[in-house]
Amino acid sequence: MLALQVLTNGLVLGCLYACIAAGFSLVWGVLNVINIMHGGFIVAGSYVAWLSYSRMGIDPWFTLFFVAPLFFGIGYLIQRGILNRVIAAPVLVTLTLTFGMDLILNNGMLIAFSADYRKLLLSPPLETLLLAGIVVPVDRLLAMVLALSLTLALYLILRHSRVGRAIIAVRMDRDASLLMGVDIKKIYSVAFGFGAAMAGCAGVLLALIFPISPLSAGAYLGKAFVVCVLGGLGSVPGAILGGLFLGVTESVGAVVFGPEHSVTLSFSLLIVFLILRPQGILGKKGYE
Amino acid sequence: MKTFTMDLLRSTVGRFRRAVPLLLTTVVAASVFGIQPVHAQETIKFGAPLPITGPLAPEALKQKQGYDLWANQVNLAGGINVAGKKMKVEIVYIDYQSNTPRAIQATERLITQDNVQFVFAPFGSGAAKAASTVAERYGVPMIAATASSSQVYDQGYKFLFGTFTPNETLTNPLATIIRQRAPDVKRVAILARNDLFPLAIAQEMEKSAKDRGLEVVYFEKFAINTLDHSSALAQIKAANPQWIFATGYTNDLVLMRKQMTDQRIEAPVVTMIAAPAYQEFIDAAGKGAENISSAAWWHPAVRYKGIDIFGTTESYVKLFKDTYKADPDYAHASASVSGALFQIAIEKSGSIDRQKVRDELAKMDVITFWGPVKFGPTGQITSLEPPVFQIQNAKPIVVHPAAIKQGDLKIGVK
Amino acid sequence: MSRKSLWIIVALLGLLSLLPLVGGAYALRIGTFASMYAILAVSWNVIGGMAGYPSFATAAFFGLGAYAGGIMLAGGASLAVATVATGLMTFVAAFIFGVILLRLKGHYFAIGSLAVAEVLRELTNAATELTGGGMGLNIPMSSVVKSVVGEAQFFFYIMWALLIVTLIVVIGIERSKLGFGLRCICQNESAADMIGVNSTLYKSLAFGFSGVFVAMAGVIYAGWVHYIEPPDVYDILYSVKPIVMALLGGLGSTLGAVMGAFLFLAIEEFVWRNLLDLHTGVLGLLIVVLLLFLPKGLVSFGSSWLGKRLVWRNGVPRD
Repeated sequence: MLALQVLTNGLVLGCLYACIAAGFSLVWGVLNVINIMHGGFIVAGSYVAWLSYSRMGIDPWFTLFFVAPLFFGIGYLIQRGILNRVIAAPVLVTLTLTFGMDLILNNGMLIAFSADYRKLLLSPPLETLLLAGIVVPVDRLLAMVLALSLTLALYLILRHSRVGRAIIAVRMDRDASLLMGVDIKKIYSVAFGFGAAMAGCAGVLLALIFPISPLSAGAYLGKAFVVCVLGGLGSVPGAILGGLFLGVTESVGAVVFGPEHSVTLSFSLLIVFLILRPQGILGKKGYE
Repeated sequence: MKTFTMDLLRSTVGRFRRAVPLLLTTVVAASVFGIQPVHAQETIKFGAPLPITGPLAPEALKQKQGYDLWANQVNLAGGINVAGKKMKVEIVYIDYQSNTPRAIQATERLITQDNVQFVFAPFGSGAAKAASTVAERYGVPMIAATASSSQVYDQGYKFLFGTFTPNETLTNPLATIIRQRAPDVKRVAILARNDLFPLAIAQEMEKSAKDRGLEVVYFEKFAINTLDHSSALAQIKAANPQWIFATGYTNDLVLMRKQMTDQRIEAPVVTMIAAPAYQEFIDAAGKGAENISSAAWWHPAVRYKGIDIFGTTESYVKLFKDTYKADPDYAHASASVSGALFQIAIEKSGSIDRQKVRDELAKMDVITFWGPVKFGPTGQITSLEPPVFQIQNAKPIVVHPAAIKQGDLKIGVK
Repeated sequence: MSRKSLWIIVALLGLLSLLPLVGGAYALRIGTFASMYAILAVSWNVIGGMAGYPSFATAAFFGLGAYAGGIMLAGGASLAVATVATGLMTFVAAFIFGVILLRLKGHYFAIGSLAVAEVLRELTNAATELTGGGMGLNIPMSSVVKSVVGEAQFFFYIMWALLIVTLIVVIGIERSKLGFGLRCICQNESAADMIGVNSTLYKSLAFGFSGVFVAMAGVIYAGWVHYIEPPDVYDILYSVKPIVMALLGGLGSTLGAVMGAFLFLAIEEFVWRNLLDLHTGVLGLLIVVLLLFLPKGLVSFGSSWLGKRLVWRNGVPRD
């Protein structure tokens, strides 16, 4: 019974991790940029959800509808205005640049909201379900379903829209795409916009579950890293697989080794995968 | 258009490139030597390093409110009475970014560059211990408003004082009360954040529980930045304890409480340290806060008639409420009393001489709104009797000591 | 490294050594940090600038050094013994681990090296009996030096001396076959392999060197502050700041790393003093401005007097 409960917890957690990582994976895979601001975007999304609910009574699932385009726009502008200038620079430069921008974002949120942890409390609160002896909290379930839907939506956009296919093309072979007439800079901006939108939406969903503060940004980013390496870069199925794998491993690992080692476990997994299978579980096959 | 602007910017920057070496030298010189402030004769400067940014930022806010409340009260009354002359109070704040090495640097900067006369310790036991070395070396009296671990005071320093009694003064009364009120409670589960204070007090709880014949069925630590406690909680559920004891910062405990509800974990007694003392916890946990017990070094319901500038506990609470529109918790009160204790020591010694003030603090034996204040030989306070309380109907109710209790401990946390 | 660069380094070090004559304990504290930052930046440059592998392992080395050295100091060892022992241990560990880790490239290597720091931190946290875990490690004060200024001077000179040792070794590497090999690896690793450069050996040596002095600085640091906790010494900023310093000064250049470290410290101190609420944001802004407008660092001032003597026309550091 404990085993089944732990496994369920891990799967639910894993879907949340997948949602956190999907946008990050896209940006890393397509632009070869590690966006340190990703964690900050997630927290910003959470704040928007919290403000909308507590000030205006808008439920989080509706907030998603305006967070997505808002964050897309912000991401697009950031890429267009700042990151496109250094896109050809070495990995180090883009990494440090996004790190600097994240410092600014973090400081801004700290000033705007203070570091106190806020909580989005739904009233009436969502209860728990008892299924075959396993307890599943409804809010996590809901967040999981929405997270999967969002990830699926991203997948469909990538696969079936013109812009999406262009993004995949750039991911597969940048120079060939250029030769085929794809406007690389625009595609980069769109991809970054998608990444930011996913982060913002993930933030809205996470607001249902976790307390909100600029101090959580680092923890989310850390999870995103691990999921990307485990699952494979730039692919949505990869993010889902990586997320589930991480979620289950952490849950089971906390029982087997003790909860204090959960962070060690995820990063050790990261190192092992980097050494043995850096392209992740799905690897190149995961492009779609 | 875009490239034009970029070129313009680049050429402007380029023109200034020659100035860089000069700029470099100026910046280096300016930061190393600093601009020495004019030493005003009429103010006493106090240094307060605070973790304004970083993970401890919420605590910095409370401390600042506490210190400011004291400083404002003193200055409204004209200042501290130093042998007949009134001198105003000025507090100099520095952000040490929740980073202990910076805390040490901040303390030294306050003493050597900002020329403060006295200093408050940074937040928490670790940083306080580290910074106390600096204070001791320079001979500057330091009061620690939030350091409870007795290890902080074990270096034999003479200039360090603390307003928190050791951790066992919280865990022992808790264990005793629960034994009395809930004799059926036999099994305890403990989950602690792997951080200085939360882990230290969890270890004390283990001792206190075992001393009273309780069985500790689970004791684990969780890493800082843990986002999910469900596995630990699932194991706790499987161990079937009657008393769950959890330590961590506010966000950890809010999350944990919610996940307990998610997993339908119930127990006769659930104790958490230290978040239930804060209004933020009650707000964030909602119905989940009901019947959670806790202990702290002070509570707005205690009743003391102090000789300090605030007077009685009620007047302190009222003043705080009028100023900040919220109830004070023990973190605010401890900061305020630290200032008030400096004031009492200065007034008693009739001077701002560091050694004299230090000696007054060492032999102090007074009642304040915080409680009776007497420091032991290590500098840590020994005279407090920390209240045990429980959240009932979204309000913290004191259940111990008997002299000030407002209600009885209720059993059963859903 | 050109002779001009060498003289500039000597001049900077000389100026720094005069600090105790003009500054009090606080100025010495800043000076000690200046030397420490320079050690971190110069060490990072060996693997990040010369070999071209963006390492984020600096925090891992620093933390490892601080704890290994700290435990030895707490156990009664002298500072000299603890420092040298820790340095050797770290070199060997970094070399061995490097053989595995350096098979990765680019972002993957960056993430992997960062993960090492995270894992080490949690392992340190978990080993509560040995390290004190989350409750930190106390290192006793040296009983030899009693006064504030005395202690400040002592640690200042020790860190300064370590900086000199680091520079001697790193400049030696630059001029040696190892340095040449690293530069080849940086430009094109497969080509380097083909002309007979043993890239695995060279890279691992570079990784080892990038760690040894950082770890030794960690030991000195632990002895200096007397109390360390895992989140403090394994702080990711100890990995990021040396990179920013090296970029500030000019990637690949040892002189650049030194200048970058000093300038970064000055900016950081200035911002910290004067902008209580905004200092992290301003630091971020500085990083952004630096990377957008000054991507080749201080040593790349093409038309300035300093620049002409340090770079070739195409902006490549003359080092």
